Amino acid sequence: MSKSINYLLRRLGFYAIAAWAALTLNFFIPRMMPGDPAAIIFARFRGKLKPEAMNALRETFGLTDEPLLGQYFTYLKNLLTGDLGISIAYFPQPVTDIISTALLWTIFLAGISLIISFSIGTLLGTLAAWKRGSKLDSILPPALALFGAFPYFWLAMVALFIFGFGLGWFPLRHAYGEHVTPGLNFPFIIDAIYHAILPASTMILVSLGGWMLSMRNTMITTLGADYITFAHAKGLPSRMIMLKFAARNAILPNFTGFGMAIGFVLSGALLTEIIFSYPGQGYLLLEAVRAQDFPLMQGLFMTITLAVLGANWLVDIAILFLDPRTRR
Amino acid sequence: MFTRNKDHDFDMSFHNGGTVRRVISSFLFIYFIIVASGCTSSHEETGPFALTISQEQVASWVRNFNPLIPSGTSRWPTGSGIYEPLFIFNSIEGKYVPWLATGYEWKDGNKVLDITIRENVLWSDGTPFSAHDVAFTFHLKKEHGGLDPRDSWGYLESVEALDDQLVRFVFSRIYVPGLDGIAGQPIIPEHIWKHVEDPVKFANPNPVGTGPFTEIVKFDHQIWELGRNPNYWQEGKPAVDRLKFPAFPTNEQATIALINGEVDWAGNFIPAIDRVFVGRDPENHHYWFPRTGGTIFFYMNTTKAPMDKIDVRKAISLAINREQIVNVAMYNYTIPAHPTALADGLSPWRSPEATEMGDWVTHDLERANSMLDSVGYPLGKDGFRRLPDGSVLSFDISIVSGWSDWIRAAQVISQNLKLVGIKTRVKTNDFGAWFSQMQKGEFDMAIAWTEKGPTPFPLYRGLMSSEYLKPVGEIAETNWHRFSLPEVDSLCTAFEQTSDDREIRNIIYRLEELFVEYAPAIPLFAEPSWGQYNTKRFTNFPNKDNPYALLSPNYPPENLLVLVNVVPK
Repeated sequence: MSKSINYLLRRLGFYAIAAWAALTLNFFIPRMMPGDPAAIIFARFRGKLKPEAMNALRETFGLTDEPLLGQYFTYLKNLLTGDLGISIAYFPQPVTDIISTALLWTIFLAGISLIISFSIGTLLGTLAAWKRGSKLDSILPPALALFGAFPYFWLAMVALFIFGFGLGWFPLRHAYGEHVTPGLNFPFIIDAIYHAILPASTMILVSLGGWMLSMRNTMITTLGADYITFAHAKGLPSRMIMLKFAARNAILPNFTGFGMAIGFVLSGALLTEIIFSYPGQGYLLLEAVRAQDFPLMQGLFMTITLAVLGANWLVDIAILFLDPRTRR
Repeated sequence: MFTRNKDHDFDMSFHNGGTVRRVISSFLFIYFIIVASGCTSSHEETGPFALTISQEQVASWVRNFNPLIPSGTSRWPTGSGIYEPLFIFNSIEGKYVPWLATGYEWKDGNKVLDITIRENVLWSDGTPFSAHDVAFTFHLKKEHGGLDPRDSWGYLESVEALDDQLVRFVFSRIYVPGLDGIAGQPIIPEHIWKHVEDPVKFANPNPVGTGPFTEIVKFDHQIWELGRNPNYWQEGKPAVDRLKFPAFPTNEQATIALINGEVDWAGNFIPAIDRVFVGRDPENHHYWFPRTGGTIFFYMNTTKAPMDKIDVRKAISLAINREQIVNVAMYNYTIPAHPTALADGLSPWRSPEATEMGDWVTHDLERANSMLDSVGYPLGKDGFRRLPDGSVLSFDISIVSGWSDWIRAAQVISQNLKLVGIKTRVKTNDFGAWFSQMQKGEFDMAIAWTEKGPTPFPLYRGLMSSEYLKPVGEIAETNWHRFSLPEVDSLCTAFEQTSDDREIRNIIYRLEELFVEYAPAIPLFAEPSWGQYNTKRFTNFPNKDNPYALLSPNYPPENLLVLVNVVPK
């Protein structure tokens, strides 16, 4: 057991270094982009702002000419104290406020889609491998792979057009309607679920194939193993062999993939959020990059980095329990 | 999920149609419950309708009603609905409409400007509005440079309230065009803002203004509503109960809402609008795109040979087929530029002489070719012209990626120029990168805007004076093509110092002639102002037949004229 703890601590140290490297890049890369936020706001107005406005904009946003290295140390110090600064695109809101709201919606939408997609996909993969050559096995994987191969934004737009615009079954935008008040009340929760159905379905549809195929393929290899034959020979019920013997071992790669995917949930389903006007992280990130909103960009990248690393660490722990081989 | 049935049943569930049907029907059932509950809540709208507007495109709203920071950071219509300016320039009628002020007078050789303030105006909290609020607003701008995007203190020396109804502006240099910046300044209440610690970062969540709409009825990330000012100074106005702003992150989302009839007033670009928008409900869906904005230009970097030659610039202009650009890139929403580059809004300023002299904005390939021949760039065997050193005449046209109208225009120009033997490549960049190239003068050719104002002065000053001229590599706010004439500088100085109508006109005419003679940049087409409205719930929007103001909400503070005049049906 102490070996396991040792292993986890070593991993933790590794993640800490990775986090520092990511946060440093996070600071320098945006600043290498040409232009500055004031110039970008100015350019966006296509001449509707007077040229004189640019200096005022710089002053408003507190853009300084301080040397980069000095700015970098201020940035690190502020990160440690949890001060992410004030957003430029959403002036004058603190970055932490903006991210925390968007984060909830992203976790809700992308998180639930991921869990549904992972569960259904893995289950279908298990069944497909168990019943190799059945209808399920021969029709579903290619069909899902086909959906997965469509450009996602196209698929989402078609879904929005048919089910939202054409048939009017689902709302066209937003995470909840205008007549509900956000909070823990029944109409709001129902409304939020109603608004999430269409975007979540498109996300599930395109990712299902991946989970299913990877599960099916590992499962097939596992089914060829000697202990499965032995289990059959012992006369164990086939469902027990399928789930407890084969699937439990075959799920490991999928599980690692799931951990990675959890981390990436926080980067938001960029295209989904743009197409469905969903107020999450992904759209925020696009906005931040386009406006060269350094504070917001840094805040977003930091949450994503920490989420990916944190999720990986959790997967490390989970694998430790699921796979005895790693405990050595 | 895993029931303790026999394996057989478990497998069957995916082949058995009955189970599948059961699953689908239970999903449908859940769906209908949700839809039903959604429907009941969406019918709750009672009382008078809200005027739904789409002007800003954002994913979620930020509660910022600070009218002094540069627009785009605070919510529309903070500076042109909640707060009001002294005068509003009506670009359709080409004149100032007195608003919080009733008149102005130049004194002391145009060094002093006296503005008379309207009486009986109240702030929305009931406090009387006076000249002291005006003086306070300008003093605050002086103290905080970030609040002075109009650079008023670049030409002002002092601002003083002489009594409750009179403000005196003393200029540090004679600068008559400065009236424009003073006229459009949104005025804030002293009794509130004197307590604000940092007015630059002040989000002003509960604004107190003089405008027609001041009460924040509701503010949510996805939607907000702005209610009527109970103390508005214009008797019986506004007729609209409240304004509603749903958040649309993209132009497509805003367009869908507009087509669906969810939005009453918008300023969006919509491709093929007659079919897409008007066709959906010809009785109620309308648009009006008057050409009161600026002119879109084709810029050539005059520091690079051979674009430093007047004849080359004119020949390139002659090679460009503007009809084709307007048709292909602009859906015929506009018309080719006038020889003086003055759009319809400034048409009274067009000089007949300059118009006649400006013979290089037509499409004439033959003349373009012969001009280039005579300047001395012979055609090579490959159909491209050569510089004296033997290299091919080849340039990049820089455009912002995603600005599809300008990208298409650049592609047309690129094809056009090939016909006169000039090789060009359309290069797109993100707008930060593009704008930095423009400002530093590190581009060959580009499409971009020009300065706008109540007179043609800002346009020609930006194009031809040395005021904004910077060496290549340094940031120039305008005059990206790097061109100046000493005569223009002296004309600009003369213009800044006079308030005499006759003299003003003579100066503008001379500027037009110089523009036409030197072709510092090539005008392409007049920029339309986008505006759409829906008459299902509201009427009396400005249009062709009732042009009392600009329809487009995109040019504050002019939209105030529309806000107080729209009436519910």
